[in-house]
Amino acid sequence: MSGMSTTAQAPATAIPMRGDGWRMVVRGFGQVLITLGIVILLFVVYELWVTGLYTQHWQSAHYNQLQRSWGPGGHSIEISKADPHLAHIPLGSGIAVLYIPRFGKGYHMVIVEGTGTSDLEKGPGHYPGTAFPGQVGNFAVAGHRTTYLHPFYNLNAIKRGDAIVLETKTMWFTYRVEDAPAAKGYPHVPYQEIVNPTDVAVAYPVPDQSDPNAKASLKMLTFTTCNPRYSAAQRLVVHAVLAQALPRGRGVIPPALAG
Amino acid sequence: MYVWIWRHIPGGLPGKLIGSLVLFLGACALLLFIVFPRIQDKLPFNDVTIDRPSHSSSSPSPSPHP
Repeated sequence: MSGMSTTAQAPATAIPMRGDGWRMVVRGFGQVLITLGIVILLFVVYELWVTGLYTQHWQSAHYNQLQRSWGPGGHSIEISKADPHLAHIPLGSGIAVLYIPRFGKGYHMVIVEGTGTSDLEKGPGHYPGTAFPGQVGNFAVAGHRTTYLHPFYNLNAIKRGDAIVLETKTMWFTYRVEDAPAAKGYPHVPYQEIVNPTDVAVAYPVPDQSDPNAKASLKMLTFTTCNPRYSAAQRLVVHAVLAQALPRGRGVIPPALAG
Repeated sequence: MYVWIWRHIPGGLPGKLIGSLVLFLGACALLLFIVFPRIQDKLPFNDVTIDRPSHSSSSPSPSPHP
């Protein structure tokens, strides 16, 4: 009885009681923790989806711009005729359009020049100084796996024999995912590798060779992305070899994209 | 903390509701457009390139990742 009357009176007393200060501190601390949790969830949402909005916006604007610059009166050059060491392609500008039928019929991405943070936020980026599409050597490209529209999210799903198609101003280049065929000076280059982030040899003209200046004889393509997904502990690498080059013209579509 | 903010938003119940919405959206915008873009460059999970650890390669490759 007496206990009931004291609890009923307690809220009415305006005089601070012993321990109220601590209660406030603990409550504030709890609220800070909840807030931090929500902020971290928001950061995950930002990384996985909001970054993709930027890439989506850039890609759709620049796909059209690239097609225009390739058309009559367009200013751009045929990239497969440019010298990778002499051509001054501005970093972050579109150089080719990438199609990967394995990723779905509608999959296309503008490949940009450069692999800096701001370049890769726009789309897959070409390692400057490596070969351009269709050239002897190694056309090396890095792309995001989980953020910025994750162009290489399913890179692990690419199988031996899959086609990777590149569209340039006047050409269609179809690469085939396969181990590098035996050629002079080439080590065994598997079509898929998981390597350390410092293994730059995968992007050498002759991939996986210790000599970065070894003379290449094959026309290869290399993709790099982070592995496993949502981590940066390793790099997933896919290699392909040029199988077909077609002039780009009215009604010409590479067989890999038809049907 | 939230109780203190709630008490200090003027304008009765409708004012408090609108005020808290504005504060909430403002905090989200600050995080999404200013804080997150800055801190993500310092976090590793966006590294997709292969890089030499120390000496730079002969190609003019920008290597923003430390």
